[in-house]
Amino acid sequence: MKKILVIDDEAIVRTSCERTLGPEGYEVKLAASGREGLSILEKESFSLVLLDLKMPDVDGIEVLNKINAIWPDTKVVMITGYSTVETAVQALRLGAYNFIEKPFTPDTLLTAVKEVFEKSEIA
Amino acid sequence: MKNIFRNPEKSIAAKLIIAIGALMVILTLIFWYAILAKQEKDITAIAIRYGGSFVNFTKESIHHSMLNFQPDETQRMLETLSRPEGVQRVSIYNHKGHILFSSQKQNVGQTVEKTSIVCKGCHTEPEKSSDLLPRQKKWVVYKNEKGFRILQIVDEIPNEPACYTAACHIHQKNQKTLGFIDAQLSLSFLDEALLRQGLALTAYVVMFVLSVSLFLGIIIYKIVSRPVSDLVHGMEKVAGGNLDYSVPIKSIDEMGVLAQTFNSMIKDLKTAQDQREKWTQTLEMEIAKKTEEIRRTHANLVQTEKLASLGRMAAGVAHEINNPLTGVVTFAHLLKKRFPPDSTEAQDLTVIIEQADRCSKIIRNLLTFARATPSEKGKVSINDIIKRTIFLVQNQEKFHHIKFNIKLDEDQLVVVGDASQFQQIFLNMFINAADAMNERGQITVATRKIEENGKRYIEIEFTDEGHGIKEEDMPKLFEPFFTTKPVGKGTGLGLSVSHGIVKHLGGHVKVKSAVGKGTSFFVRLPLTEGEK
Repeated sequence: MKKILVIDDEAIVRTSCERTLGPEGYEVKLAASGREGLSILEKESFSLVLLDLKMPDVDGIEVLNKINAIWPDTKVVMITGYSTVETAVQALRLGAYNFIEKPFTPDTLLTAVKEVFEKSEIA
Repeated sequence: MKNIFRNPEKSIAAKLIIAIGALMVILTLIFWYAILAKQEKDITAIAIRYGGSFVNFTKESIHHSMLNFQPDETQRMLETLSRPEGVQRVSIYNHKGHILFSSQKQNVGQTVEKTSIVCKGCHTEPEKSSDLLPRQKKWVVYKNEKGFRILQIVDEIPNEPACYTAACHIHQKNQKTLGFIDAQLSLSFLDEALLRQGLALTAYVVMFVLSVSLFLGIIIYKIVSRPVSDLVHGMEKVAGGNLDYSVPIKSIDEMGVLAQTFNSMIKDLKTAQDQREKWTQTLEMEIAKKTEEIRRTHANLVQTEKLASLGRMAAGVAHEINNPLTGVVTFAHLLKKRFPPDSTEAQDLTVIIEQADRCSKIIRNLLTFARATPSEKGKVSINDIIKRTIFLVQNQEKFHHIKFNIKLDEDQLVVVGDASQFQQIFLNMFINAADAMNERGQITVATRKIEENGKRYIEIEFTDEGHGIKEEDMPKLFEPFFTTKPVGKGTGLGLSVSHGIVKHLGGHVKVKSAVGKGTSFFVRLPLTEGEK
């Protein structure tokens, strides 16, 4: 089972991800903040984390750094707003696998997610 | 000429004429009086001399009859001697004042008053003492009852040996003076002559004074009064504001030089005034220009501030909207999958998705707009950015049927700014051009160096062959959210954002457009110092 953790402070974005990915056979868990996401990650391991870049408590980049440091096998795809493309690029440099821009369509999300798993399977 | 005497205190000429005239009259009067007085004195002296000799002659004439004691003869002699015209009377007195003989017989035997010249001629106080004057006065002039002047001459008859040795023995030896001879001679002839001479002299003097005064007046009028009044007239004209007036120059003397100096002064004044007027005009124009500049700068500042706050607001809004939009898009898609593709529901959901897409596009543009404030500044080459941007758009479908006509300046054209911002501006220009031409035609891109108002700029020209911009749309061109593009296609932020960036860098955007022929945008950026 491919496990995906969605960390986003916006409920509608979390739900959107769950509803898009769930029916496609992914096991989706949701976290409403960076701190909650990190505590879930400590208990379970995930293949992929969909991580919002801008969150009120712990910044996306910080969360990304921790994931890279503690769970190097977990891939991270950043979710960004348009204005933070530079930050997204920075995130890529810091080890994020990819990024998608808000607002995204289910297809965009699925494509990005599938890409991660296809690549990792080959690898 | 009349004018100068109307207010003499106001006229130099009148003062001069009055002063010289008065001096002349006074001098002439003195001269006239002196001559008359001298004449009278001289004539009187002559009269006295002749009178004296007449008295001596009388004395000698009667000498014989006196010595021989012939009183009748003496009396007859005196009567004869008094006959010539002018001789009034000849008398002989003794020392006591008794008239012994007289040409007027009725006077014989009378006594002369002691106040008479006969007594006073020798005695200090004839009434009281017999004291003698140190010098004898022998003559006096007086006016008789008829008003004629009479010269009275008195001479003593001294005692001499023949007298006191004569046979008659009338006179004593110790007597010093025997008596007096007194002649009264009329001066009326002399007075007449004097009067006539005085009158003639007066007439000459009056004529002399009049003619000299007239001559002087004319000369003063000609050389002083007229030039001065011309000058005054000129000064009044000039004071009244007529700087084109010039005083006629009629002489080369001081007045002429004064007029000439005055004229050249007026000329200088006129030049100065013209220059001042020109300066004032220039200054006014300059002020108007500066005022307009300040007004524009102020308007720009307000606009920039407005845009900046709008941008901040837009960024905030955009971020907030992105999240719900994600939900809308996702759930519309999910819902759409449940319906057959041809169903009305699927089509309706497609509309929802499309509209959500549109929202997303608007937000993207808003965020671009919000980013208009410069981020990373550095030296960038405009030519390089142009080339890169063209390379970028050429691969896009929108530009497949568009030909680029590129004329770039030989120099690199370096400016200080953010490369991505420039790219954004140029991209926007290309997209606008392509839209205006319905994605078909030629876009001319040119870069060059220009000079405007003494400042050097880099000018980047974007010319399309599109539909042009309507005159009434021109003022709104750079306003945010103004667009002529079909609904859904343009957000009205592209030019506004570009304009904002260019302004921020100290440049400006110029537009030239002809409806139906095309539009040219000229982006002008200040040339960095030290660069070509």
